[in-house]
Amino acid sequence: MQTITFMLILLPFLGALSCYAIRSAPVRSFIVLSTGCILITCSLLLISYVPFTFSPETVFGLDVHGLIQIPDFILMFAILYYGIKHRSILVIIPAALQIILVIWFEVFMIADHPTTQAFYCDNLSLIMVLIISIVGSIICFQAIPYMKNHEEHLHPATSRQPRFFFVMLFFLGVMNGLVLSNDMTVIHFFFEATTLCSFLLIGHDGTEIAVRNSVRALWMNSIGCLAFIVSLIMIYRNIGSIDMQQVIRTPAGAGLSFLSLSLLCFACFVKSAQFPMQSWLVGAMVAPTPVSALLHSSTMVKVGVYLALRLAPAMQGSFLSPCIAIFGAFTFLAGAALALGQSNGKKVLAYSTISNLGLIFACAGLNTPESMTAAVLLIIFHAVIKAMLFLCVGTIEQHIESRDIEDMRGLYAKMPLTALITVMGVVMMIMPPFGLLLGKWMAMEAAAGNIFVIILAAVGSALTAMYWARWAGTLMSDPFAGIFHLEKQPALTWGALLSLCTGAGILSIAVPWIYRGLFTAAMNLNYAPPYSLKNGILENAYGVFAVLPLCLIAVLGFLQSIWAVRGATQARICPPYLSGIHTAEPRVFLGPMNKLIKAEAGNYYLSNIFGERKLTVWINLAAGMLLTLIVGGAL
Amino acid sequence: MTGHVLMMIVAGLVAGPLLGGLIAGFDRILTARFQSRIGPPLLQPFYDVIKLFGKEKQVVNVWQAFCANAYLTAASISLVLFFLRSDLLLILFIQAVGAVFLVVGAFSSTSPYSQAGAHRELLQILCYEPLLIFIAVGIYLHTGSFKIEAVYALKQPLLLKLPFLFLVLNFVLTIKLRKSPFDLSTSHHAHQELVKGLLTDYSGPILALTEIAHWYETVLVLGFCSLFWTTNPLGAILLVGITYFVEIWIDNVSARMNWRWMLGYGWAMGITLSLVNLVWLYVR
Repeated sequence: MQTITFMLILLPFLGALSCYAIRSAPVRSFIVLSTGCILITCSLLLISYVPFTFSPETVFGLDVHGLIQIPDFILMFAILYYGIKHRSILVIIPAALQIILVIWFEVFMIADHPTTQAFYCDNLSLIMVLIISIVGSIICFQAIPYMKNHEEHLHPATSRQPRFFFVMLFFLGVMNGLVLSNDMTVIHFFFEATTLCSFLLIGHDGTEIAVRNSVRALWMNSIGCLAFIVSLIMIYRNIGSIDMQQVIRTPAGAGLSFLSLSLLCFACFVKSAQFPMQSWLVGAMVAPTPVSALLHSSTMVKVGVYLALRLAPAMQGSFLSPCIAIFGAFTFLAGAALALGQSNGKKVLAYSTISNLGLIFACAGLNTPESMTAAVLLIIFHAVIKAMLFLCVGTIEQHIESRDIEDMRGLYAKMPLTALITVMGVVMMIMPPFGLLLGKWMAMEAAAGNIFVIILAAVGSALTAMYWARWAGTLMSDPFAGIFHLEKQPALTWGALLSLCTGAGILSIAVPWIYRGLFTAAMNLNYAPPYSLKNGILENAYGVFAVLPLCLIAVLGFLQSIWAVRGATQARICPPYLSGIHTAEPRVFLGPMNKLIKAEAGNYYLSNIFGERKLTVWINLAAGMLLTLIVGGAL
Repeated sequence: MTGHVLMMIVAGLVAGPLLGGLIAGFDRILTARFQSRIGPPLLQPFYDVIKLFGKEKQVVNVWQAFCANAYLTAASISLVLFFLRSDLLLILFIQAVGAVFLVVGAFSSTSPYSQAGAHRELLQILCYEPLLIFIAVGIYLHTGSFKIEAVYALKQPLLLKLPFLFLVLNFVLTIKLRKSPFDLSTSHHAHQELVKGLLTDYSGPILALTEIAHWYETVLVLGFCSLFWTTNPLGAILLVGITYFVEIWIDNVSARMNWRWMLGYGWAMGITLSLVNLVWLYVR
C-alpha cells in the first residue's frame, strides 16, 4: 500500500526526468507508454486497499513535511522568476507575498510541527487517482503521435518534445500527490505545482499569444494560491491543526472561521476557472490539444471541485453552503450560455467544462448525500467524455486545419469514424442512460428544494442540450451515399479515442456497481448512502432512475436503429429539397430566371444574444458580486 | 406485480399510436369546422400513415433512418414510463432525447429549409424544456416526490395548488403540438417560407415513423395535463378535453410568430408564472 502510493506519486516524476534527459524519440515514447501502463496498474491495485491512512516516519531521513519544504521554496521562486521574466506585476506581487507568508508560517508559527497523517485515501481520493492515472495516461499516449505531427507542422529549431512530456508526466505525479495528501501544507505545495505545470504547458508553443495566455493563467492561479496560504494560516490559528481530516471534522463556525473556508473556496473557484476567473482556461486552448484535454478532464480544473467536495462536510449547515450552490448553478447557466454563442469548437468545449464544473460546485454546495453522489458521478463521466471530445477535436483539427464548427460541416464524409466518435461523445454528454445525464438528474432532484438553484440549473440544462445537438447535427450534415472509407490515423490515436469511448459506455452500464462500491461503503462519515439499489435501479424516496433497464433498452434501440440504417443504404438516395431544379453539382439549383443558385445554410450562433462580447461583462459582474457575497459575508 | 408492469408497458405502447391518431383525426375535424369546412374522416391520420408506409423508401442521408427510429424509440419509452408512473424528470429527459434526434436527422440534410427548421426546433426545445422541468419541480414541492405515483396518491386535484404552472403547461403544449403561434419549425400545413421545415427531407416510411412518434409525444404531454386532475377520471378527461379545445382555438385565431418573440415571451411569462407558483408552494 505504501509502495503503491509512492509509486503513484514518484514514478511520473522519474518518467518525466528521463523524458527530459534522454533526447531520443523512440526511447521517449517507450518511457511515456511504460510510465502510463504502470500508473494504470498501480491505480487499479490501489482499489483493494481503500480506505487507508498512513504517515511514514521518515523518507530519506526527513519527514514528509520537511521533505516538501525545499521544493516548495524552489517552486515559489520559480514562479517569481517567471513573473520577473515576463515583467508581470500581477504575478510578482502574489508570488512575493506568498514567499513571505510561507516563511512566516513555517518558521514562526508551526515551529513544533503538529502530528498529522501525511497520506489519506478514501473513495473520493481513489476516484481521483483512477481518473488521473487512467485518463491522464491515455491522453499522454495520444500526445505521442499528436506532438510528432504538431512539430512536423510547426518546424521548431529544436524539438521541444522532451520538455513537453516532462511537464505532462510531472503533472500526473503532482495530481496524484495532491489527492493522496492529507497534510494541508503538502496539499498547498502540490496546488502550486499544478499552477506552474499548466503555465509551462499553455506557453509551450512560445508564440506571442501562447505566452500572453500562459502568463494570465499564472497570475490568476497565483492569486488562488495566495488565498490558499492565507486560509491555511487562519485555519492553523483557529484550530491548531493542518490535518485535512481534522479540519473537515470541525464544523464551520465552531472554531473554524467562515473566512478561512470561504477563502479556500475562492482558491478552488480560481483553479476550476469559475466566473469571473474563467479567462485563463478559455485562453489555455492556444496550447496543443493534449494539453487542453489534460487540463479540462483529469487534472487542474478537477483540483478545485475535488477540494470543494473534500471541504463540504465542514460547510454543512453553514450559510456558505447554499451560497456556493447558487454560485455554482449560476456558473452552470452562464457557461452554457457562452458556449451557445461560440462557433469555435475548442471554445465550446472550454465553456462547457466551466459550466459542468459549476454544476459540480452546486452539488458540493447543496451538500446532501444525493448531491454528493451526483457530484462524484459528474466528475468521473465528465473527465472521460471531455478528454475524448478534446482528443477528437485535436484529431479533426490536424486533419482539416480548423477548429470551427462550421468547417466541420459534413465531416462524416471525410473522417467517418472520428466524426462518429465525436457524435457519440456529444450523445453521452446530454442523453440518458449515460452517466453524465444520470449525474445531472441526481443533481436536479437534489436541487429541487432550492428554487434559485433549480431555476438556474433548468435553464442551463436546456441551453446545454441546444449547443451539443447543434454540433452533432453539423458533423453529420452531408449528402451521404453509404460508402464508408475508414480514415487513416496512428494506432495510438485510435486506441485513445476508442478506449475512452467504450470506457464511458461501459462505465455508464456499470453505474449501479460503481454506486454500490463507492457509496454504500460510507464515502464519508457525514453522508449516508442516499439511494437503494435493486435490479440495477437506483431509487430513493422521491426519485427513481432505472439504470440497467434503460441501458438495455438503449442498446436494443441502438441496434434496431442501426438495422434501419442498413436498410436505408439500399434505399434510393435523393438530393435534398431545394425548391428548384437540381443541377449536376450538389447544392446548386436552377432558380427563377434560369439562374444558378447555390443553396447554403449556416448555424445559428445567436451571437447578438449569447456572444462573448455581449455577455462576458455582465456575467463577470454578476459572478463577482456573488463571490463578494460569499467572501464578504464571511467577514 | 410483474404482470401489472407488463400490462402497463403494453398499454403504453398501444395507447400512444391509438389515442394519438384519434386525437389527430379529431383535431382535423374540429379545425375544419372552425374554418367552415367538413374535414376528413376521423380515421384519416391512420390512413395517411399506412399510405406513407407503402411508399418507396428514399433518403437524403442514411442517418435519417437512424434518427427517425431513435425518435420513435425515445418517444415510446417516455410514454411507457409515464404509464408505469415513473420519475417525471426521467420521462422529460428521455422525451428530450427523441426531440434532439429528430433535429439531428433534419441537420443531416443540407437543404436550407431542413436546416433552418432544425435550428428553430432547437430554439423551441430551448424554450419549453426548462418550463417542463419547473412543472416537475412544482409537483415535487407539493407532493414531496418526483414520482407520478405520488400525484395519484393526492386527495385534492393538483390544479388547485399549481394553477400558474398549469398555464405554463398550456404554453408548452402549444409548442409541442406544433400549433400557431409557435409552429415555427414545422406544422401540419406547409409553411409559406419554410416548406415543411424540419420535416422537409423526411419522406415515405421514415416520415411515417416521425408521425407515430409525434402521436406518442402528444399523448405524453396530454398525460401531463391529466396529472392536474387525478382525483376523478371524469375530471381528468374534462380538463384534457377543454385544454385541447382551447389549443385548437388558439391555433385558429393566432398568426405564426418568430423565434425571438417565442423565446422572449415564453421565458419571461413562463419563468415568472413558474416562479410565482413555486414560491407560493415553497412558503406554504
